[in-house]
Amino acid sequence: MNRIAGIAAGIAIAALLAAAVLSFDVYDAPSRTLALSLTFGAVLGVVMQRSRFCFLCNLRDFHLRGDASGLVAILVALAVGAAGYLAVFGAWMPVVAAERLPPTAHVGPVSPALVAGALVFGFGMSVSGSCLSGHLYRLGEGSIMSLAALAGALAGFGLGFYTWNGLYLADLARGPSVWLPHHLGYGGAAAITAAGLGLLAWAILSRARPQQAAPAPVGALEAVFVRRWPPALAGTLVGLIATLAYFRVSPLGVTAEIGSLARTAASQAGILPETLYGLDGLRGCIAVVKTALLSPNGVFVGGLVAGSLASALIAGQFRPVRPNLRRTAEILVGGVLMGWGAMIALGCTVGVLLSGIHAGALAGWVFLVACVAGAYLGFAAMKRFGKPA
Amino acid sequence: MFRKTLLAVAGALALIASPTLAQDGPLVTAEWVRDNLNNPKVRVLEVSVDPGVYERGHVPGAVNIRWHSDLVDTVKRDIVGKEQFQKFLREAGVGPDTTVVLYGDNNNWFAAWGAWIFESYGLGERTKLLDGGRKIWEAKGFQLDTQVPAYRPTDLVLADASPKTRARLADVLQVAEKKVDTKLVDIRSAPEYEGKIIAPENVKELAVRAGHVPGAVNFPWGQAANPDGTFKSKDELKKAFAALGIDGTKPIIVYCRIGERSSHTWFALAKILGYDVRNYDGSWTEYGNSVGVPVINLAGTVWQGK
Repeated sequence: MNRIAGIAAGIAIAALLAAAVLSFDVYDAPSRTLALSLTFGAVLGVVMQRSRFCFLCNLRDFHLRGDASGLVAILVALAVGAAGYLAVFGAWMPVVAAERLPPTAHVGPVSPALVAGALVFGFGMSVSGSCLSGHLYRLGEGSIMSLAALAGALAGFGLGFYTWNGLYLADLARGPSVWLPHHLGYGGAAAITAAGLGLLAWAILSRARPQQAAPAPVGALEAVFVRRWPPALAGTLVGLIATLAYFRVSPLGVTAEIGSLARTAASQAGILPETLYGLDGLRGCIAVVKTALLSPNGVFVGGLVAGSLASALIAGQFRPVRPNLRRTAEILVGGVLMGWGAMIALGCTVGVLLSGIHAGALAGWVFLVACVAGAYLGFAAMKRFGKPA
Repeated sequence: MFRKTLLAVAGALALIASPTLAQDGPLVTAEWVRDNLNNPKVRVLEVSVDPGVYERGHVPGAVNIRWHSDLVDTVKRDIVGKEQFQKFLREAGVGPDTTVVLYGDNNNWFAAWGAWIFESYGLGERTKLLDGGRKIWEAKGFQLDTQVPAYRPTDLVLADASPKTRARLADVLQVAEKKVDTKLVDIRSAPEYEGKIIAPENVKELAVRAGHVPGAVNFPWGQAANPDGTFKSKDELKKAFAALGIDGTKPIIVYCRIGERSSHTWFALAKILGYDVRNYDGSWTEYGNSVGVPVINLAGTVWQGK
């Protein structure tokens, strides 16, 4: 695409997004929430595109090339968000009450289903070449094949709904919603989170291999609009957006809308159990039957894709790739696995890993370990049976 | 200059006098609440349906009531027990002479239910609703706060829950069987009342039968509210209920599906109009599941297996 035309198109998309945000009725509380969700989504989309903030790509860079920069961005995002959440918790729940969880925070149950869901999700993202949030922002970069991942995730969610009741009744989906401050207080939870992240940083950085020398210095415009943003900046921004989103709307998550679409479609087609036991009482990215066209999570996801698109166009990184059958199939299958995993684990790398660790939920850490294990199994499987992703 | 001084003195006097600003009646305006935010004799409490609404911004100084744990017994189906409610109110800084102002989201729906529970525990005379709830407070551009306040605990002592505000299945059955002369008001939607449907879409708590209690008149609860969520005026309410034969000359029982929406109508009838009203919180999910009770089904739907 012509460079000038790309920039013009990117600015036009950004202007449309701004117009959409401004079109909401500020006198109506639900509309204000939608406007905020759209804004958060768009800003996160820009940050993800500019910094290539993608859980799987960053893990793969480290796995294949020993490049730790992407993982550092994730660790910084976890640390900044955890600090931000603590500031919010301190205002909302100055004293940790034994029987209460902070409102709407993603403190999900720690259960065998969480481990299985995260493991399968991790394997699926390896096969698919990206996690769900990664596919969403890459869609904005013109990755048409990412649609296959979303389609697969819809189907995977459907499968998840099918298996949910059985898992729930077998006591596999139930478990304690462990919130670290309940056991350690806010200070202790902060300390253990910092220690955990520090340990991970040490483990990662001590195994990192030196990368090629930094590219020649560039002008400020190019640094901001074209080059990849430095990892510490990317992580700080993601942690900040996560905190603000929790403070004003809800924790970050990208699967609630996908799940809700799947649940609504399946229940309208009458191919879903009428009741998903206990699901509505749990915390996380919970799929609900849709009652309105626009939901906060729906506009958030839409904003993310549009924000990434505007950013990619301006950067000259909007590059539609001609779909090929084999890759599309892999992306689709990975999407199905991710959909099943995200349904059973009550969220994905964003909703459980990021928002969970931010909130001091043990479930977030469990997801992290199981998901990375699944991803490494996926790397091994792809190496053996497929072309390296 | 003299005039200015005089005005300043008058203003200062008004400020000193403001804590005693009285508002008679069961409703207070948003302006009244704003002017009494620092009044130690007034405690504002938010009862919102959705979790997280209070935390993301509430009337400054307001205490949060989590209806699903603070106002109900969490194991058996009942309103909150005396000990637990007393403990909650003491910690919220509600003393023996505190005026309580309740407000919430969804047109004060659960705030009105809260008012009914406050009434049951003998606090009705000093419990008020912020007319229009959160929506009006926000629409007027009044300040919201995200800090959770802490108050010095009080030594409030609650009376046992009074049976005067609450109707039981046996009471309703006596009305249905015409053994007592009491008016019944069914505040659900017309299709529920007529028996076309058992409950609105996406509702989990259901009944085995559809219809209404014999003798009940239908007054969908929203008819007591203006589009902005405030209650209709006393005269309008009086007229609307009188048209259905509800004029306060006979005792009244209101019910809905689970007893929560009907609290809104209970508030209009009992607190605004001053009628003798009980809320039947068992409502249709108890009555419509009971064996052998008479039911009117206008829609003609009959139960059948298939």
